[in-house]
Amino acid sequence: MQDLTTDVLVVGAGPAGAMTAKWAAKRGARVLMIEKRQEIGSPVRCGEGMSKEWLTEVGITPGRWINVEVEGARIYSPSEKVFEINEKHAGNEVGYVVERDGFDKQLAIDAGNAGADVMLKTAAVGILKEGGQVVGVKAKQFGELFNIRAPVTIGADGFESQIGRWAGLPTNLMLRDMDSCLQYRMTNVDSDTRYCDFYLGKIAPGGYVWIFPKADGLANVGIGVQLSQLKNPADVKTYLDRWIDRHPGYAKGKKIDMVGGGVSIAPPLKQTVTDGFMIVGDAARMIDPLTGGGIANGCIAGKICGEVAAEAVEAGTPSKEFFQRYEKGWRARLEEKLYRNWLAKEKLCTLPDEVFDKIVDALQDVRLQKLTVQNILRAVQSKYPEVTKEFDQFL
Amino acid sequence: MPSKKTLHIESSGQLCIYCGACVGVCPLNCIYLDETRITFDEKVCTRCEICVRACPVGAIEIG
Repeated sequence: MQDLTTDVLVVGAGPAGAMTAKWAAKRGARVLMIEKRQEIGSPVRCGEGMSKEWLTEVGITPGRWINVEVEGARIYSPSEKVFEINEKHAGNEVGYVVERDGFDKQLAIDAGNAGADVMLKTAAVGILKEGGQVVGVKAKQFGELFNIRAPVTIGADGFESQIGRWAGLPTNLMLRDMDSCLQYRMTNVDSDTRYCDFYLGKIAPGGYVWIFPKADGLANVGIGVQLSQLKNPADVKTYLDRWIDRHPGYAKGKKIDMVGGGVSIAPPLKQTVTDGFMIVGDAARMIDPLTGGGIANGCIAGKICGEVAAEAVEAGTPSKEFFQRYEKGWRARLEEKLYRNWLAKEKLCTLPDEVFDKIVDALQDVRLQKLTVQNILRAVQSKYPEVTKEFDQFL
Repeated sequence: MPSKKTLHIESSGQLCIYCGACVGVCPLNCIYLDETRITFDEKVCTRCEICVRACPVGAIEIG
């Protein structure tokens, strides 16, 4: 295989990578996106739920990848008191349960139609640097090694990002900053297609059990557990199987597939650019630390990343200084919420089951106009003042 | 120097589901996922056991 050159090289064809590729191509750059798997979007490593208010912002048109449009979410406390969040007070935060493989493919199609080239079964196995500047990657396709050179290289290689570390960005995580996840797609279950369900408490320490309902009695049933709270091998599977066993509506279900993976629940990276290189999406720890959702943030940052990449190529200055446009742009759009949700998550991780029960119990009694942390805490304060003492910082 | 413990990653598919969780958590970046094959660099690995905990299905053993 001969060495290749391009303007913008995107490593990873998930949502963040495909968005970056699309917007860089739309802005006139020559773009090559490489994907180590043979099929974009598969296997599905995701709960498949997403909000919808951000889609227009990044130019995604709703399509066949939508499986179900839900009305709201239900939060279950450890004793299974329910708090319902619906469109009225959550706005467009509620959204779709999707066919994630179809969604990823659609984004790759959009990138391809915008002019980006795509290479499958092509893994980045090393980074090319010249005088501290990233100038591309060493790649492998069907056993053959070759170099891909580009003035701008984008790391969009997900949670297990290697390329960020190779580029010299500090992307390492501590145990407490990660959740290990496992999910089944199950059929013949009693899920309600009007709601996404979330179960909190000791049943999933530092995480939650999710149910994302799909059409035809199918649902995506999964769990995330904080790594620092896992003790034995296969604990994650044990937790999920135990939850399923205790819920007759799911215990009778049949598993169609099973996938695992990791999610960061950390504050975002301090630095996401270096000379010749930018990092985006899950690889940049842009996952919402409270919800574990990464698609929206990856796409929003991806659009900014792609535009800046093309501008840098046009200006001929793919430097760390030029890439501040991306660094500042995505932070202005996402960082405040990421930090706020990280703080909230840090607090929630420490709560015993009784407190979760009290919070949800208090919320059942009131009609919240708008779902904000303050409104929730005020509701809890009126019924269980002792619980909110710990949350003074949020009030 | 005491000899290192043995780390075994079951990656034939009997347990492993190729999710990459171990790759993502490895602080030394020494686990590699190549389609349906997982390998690790024996020399770099310090047997910190973080991957053992992260593996959702218990496919990694140390002893």
